[in-house]
Amino acid sequence: MVRMDQNDHAAIRAILAGDKEAYGALVRRHSPSLFRVAFRVTGNEADADDVVQEAFLRGYRKLQSFESRSNFGTWIYRIAVRCALDRIGGKKVDESHRVAEASDPEQEQVQVADDAAGPDRLLLSGEIRALHEAAMRSLTATERTAFVLRHMEECSTGEIAGALGIAPNAAKQAVFRAVRKLRLRLAPLRVNL
Amino acid sequence: MNHLNEEELIEHYYSRGAGGDAAQEHLEQCAQCAEGFETLESDMDEFASVEPPVRDSEYGERVWQSISSALPVYEKRKRSWLYLDLWQGLAYAAACALLAGGAFFAGRLWEHKQAQVVATNPPPPVQERVAPPPPVQERVVVVVLSDHLDRSERLLVELKHADADSVETVSPLRDEARGLLAANRICRKNAKRSDDPALETALDHLDRVLAELAGQRGRMDAADLTRLQNEMSADGLLFQVRVLRSRIPNRRAAQAAQPDGGEI
Repeated sequence: MVRMDQNDHAAIRAILAGDKEAYGALVRRHSPSLFRVAFRVTGNEADADDVVQEAFLRGYRKLQSFESRSNFGTWIYRIAVRCALDRIGGKKVDESHRVAEASDPEQEQVQVADDAAGPDRLLLSGEIRALHEAAMRSLTATERTAFVLRHMEECSTGEIAGALGIAPNAAKQAVFRAVRKLRLRLAPLRVNL
Repeated sequence: MNHLNEEELIEHYYSRGAGGDAAQEHLEQCAQCAEGFETLESDMDEFASVEPPVRDSEYGERVWQSISSALPVYEKRKRSWLYLDLWQGLAYAAACALLAGGAFFAGRLWEHKQAQVVATNPPPPVQERVAPPPPVQERVVVVVLSDHLDRSERLLVELKHADADSVETVSPLRDEARGLLAANRICRKNAKRSDDPALETALDHLDRVLAELAGQRGRMDAADLTRLQNEMSADGLLFQVRVLRSRIPNRRAAQAAQPDGGEI
């Protein structure tokens, strides 16, 4: 890790000295981790690819402000989270991706669409995943990103706050709200299963 | 017993394994909260299975190819004059400080060494100290003047005791006076330049006596000799010459310091 940091810093010095190609090494090295977090935040491969590219473009433009004592991997990761946050925040929830989930107010149970329902277990798993995705899309951009970073990326509250540019307590509250909303959405499904 | 609320359960869910959690102790004692936590755990674990699609090893290269053309080349950072001046100034300041410190240290060492030398070889008493010799030109003038006054004194003494009837006595005096006359004029010029009125006056008087003695033609009669002797006595010329001779310091030292070639 130390060696990688040194390589990253050497590449950054070369870039700032006019060697644009040195940035290629950084892109190749950090693209997989950026794609992973971008996909988890956006929930979409195409969007994740766009986020990765956008993050590296932004990173290149801001490279002069990068402090040499920082870790480039952490720095570009934060930029990718912001890019993903911008993307899902500026995008209206696409209704076509929503699974029919009209709730019965009395029973509070999810009514899975008939054309997707079936006895087959695999098909049911697909439906459950679709419901998860729908529940995730019901979150605000900040809640979704905070939840992804906490639950899937296993970031600490401080790291989430740093990535989102908010106070640690606000980051913690965002995670709480996200979990509460998700559980509320998935509670009827739990009864059905 | 206060039950754990949802936030505390969520916090406990994400901080499991950290140790020292009071919530864990509560869950072990409270069945209601334990059941609530079990449900939360079940819900949350469902989300853990979501994995992103796998990207091959060329993914990074493809990302680079897609963005590289849009990236401008950074110009090499130029150090500003202010930056250079700052470092140059600091370098100069450091060099000056080093130089000053070195000079101070060297001075202290030299002073210490001198003190040791003085302690080993104490300086001579004040009365034994010799004044520094005068410059070469001045030393030459002193030697010439001293010699001139010596010869003049001898001449004046002989003239004072001369017998007008003896030709053998007066004739050599006249020849000596002629020889001294030229030297006396040179000494007069020097006395005038050195702003020494006493010497100048004495040499003037000597010049008159020497000129008169040198100008005698044939045999000098008694009247002429007496007149010269009176004139010499009236001016106190012999006394003046002796005083001037005593004023000339360290003739021997001056002679010793005279370069090869001796007197002029």
